[in-house]
Amino acid sequence: MKRVYKIASESSVILYFGESIDPAVSKEVQKAYHALKEAKVEGFYELIPSYASLMVVYDVLSLTFDGACERIESILSHAHTLVEHASSIVTIPVYYGLDVGLDLELLCEEKGLSVEEIIALHVKSTYSVYAIGFAPGFAYLGEIDARLATSRLANPRKAVPKGSVAIADRQTAVYPAQSPGGWKVLGRTPTAMFDATYKGLSLLHVGDSVRFEPISKEMFLRLGGEL
Amino acid sequence: MNGFLVQNGGIQSSIQDMGRQGLSDIGLTQSGAMDELAFGYANMLVGNTLNTPALEIAMGGVVLEAQGMMRIAICGANMQVMCKEKVLALWQTHILQKGDILRFAFASDAQFAYLAVEGGFQTPYAYGSFSTSLKEGLGGIEGRKLKAGDFLLVLAHQNVGEKRKIQKAFVPSYPEEITVRLLKGYQEERFDAEAQRRFFGSTYTFKGEGDRMGYRLSGEKIVPSVTGILSEPICYGAVQIPSHGEPIVLLKERQTIGGYPKIGSVIGVDCFKLAQLKTGGKVCFCEVSLEEAHRATYAFYDFFKKIGVC
Repeated sequence: MKRVYKIASESSVILYFGESIDPAVSKEVQKAYHALKEAKVEGFYELIPSYASLMVVYDVLSLTFDGACERIESILSHAHTLVEHASSIVTIPVYYGLDVGLDLELLCEEKGLSVEEIIALHVKSTYSVYAIGFAPGFAYLGEIDARLATSRLANPRKAVPKGSVAIADRQTAVYPAQSPGGWKVLGRTPTAMFDATYKGLSLLHVGDSVRFEPISKEMFLRLGGEL
Repeated sequence: MNGFLVQNGGIQSSIQDMGRQGLSDIGLTQSGAMDELAFGYANMLVGNTLNTPALEIAMGGVVLEAQGMMRIAICGANMQVMCKEKVLALWQTHILQKGDILRFAFASDAQFAYLAVEGGFQTPYAYGSFSTSLKEGLGGIEGRKLKAGDFLLVLAHQNVGEKRKIQKAFVPSYPEEITVRLLKGYQEERFDAEAQRRFFGSTYTFKGEGDRMGYRLSGEKIVPSVTGILSEPICYGAVQIPSHGEPIVLLKERQTIGGYPKIGSVIGVDCFKLAQLKTGGKVCFCEVSLEEAHRATYAFYDFFKKIGVC
């Protein structure tokens, strides 16, 4: 797949692999991200992947723009020989109760589906981590079933509770900490998304696969969940 | 224990160093000193390496009580710092004794002052940096701005170093009108010739709408050809144009990815000047070549490297 190098700033280059949310494009981004990460290039300070692009922030004292691009190209042109990054499948337990699924009833009305049908549609897919941003450990997962696709709340909440599992457009995510937000909330997980004790700090990394597993209220509480 | 007892935390004071690196891919902001020049000078004066945590004081209002002898330097915005009924000069070292009280008034010329202490502050190290990320609640003192009752630990010193000052020619000024250099970038084509002509031909005003994340500027509105783009990584200095048409320059505590079109990026060394622009100050943008942007950035960091504080 063709990649385009563009100047982002005097110390960063952005690579475009495509222009849309597309699993094939995302795969190319992930491949490049992991190849560059494993190459541990001195002077590459930051590697930031997103849906269809990847930014490399470099040290201007040791690299020029052209020098950085050449270095990236030489690593990526050999990347096809690298084994595909073995991404993990992470299962996240979710309590889908009306007491924590703050927008379940709203969604039932909007979609003409029952609560059970909404939960079934949310847990049936395996999702891919396209990008992490907005907050530490906030992973954008795609894509949800088209029948669940929904707009953001007209009035975003000032405080979405920590662990809230939510959807917007064709994406789903877990709020790692209490924060403002406009995604529609289906349930809550007791699992920490960002924790100093995790290897790599974030539970999820770009390229990981994610499944949601429904749990009872009792299990949610036993796993340390808070109502 | 040596250090400072905080009697008043001021408007927004936080421990900062050169920021976090290598964690943007899991959503952590860079953070770090908003003005690396004043921050770097303060550390250089007291013999610290460049990446030593110092206290960043936004606007002023801080009162600190020294718990022992220390060599300090204050650089940046002029907050008329009083100690023992005298105004402490900026851009030079001072020796404090146990019981000395530093009173920072409010700056009228710029936004941020940096207090560096010989040996640096011994605050908690979080995720590879001492910097406080206020939005994320990470680093520094419990991830928040200082408040009365906090204690800023400093290693005790038997001896303190000699008196030093920054030569006058090197002391930056903080004019009310600045021109910052912008590297047109990867999304330039989202703005037609007329939009670009207006952007580079206008004077924008900083009305104080902003924080460590970024500054919104008021003035000529420009309209990109698209209202949103697919979310992508955001670099330091990126100038994004949301649908309201006024530029927002993203600074140290910016989000790691976002979906607004960008006309380009203000070069890092000019972001430091922008960060210091007083409320009501004016900004113009001028285009810079990649070569000149690189040269200016190289010169800045090479300067600190050559004097041995990198």
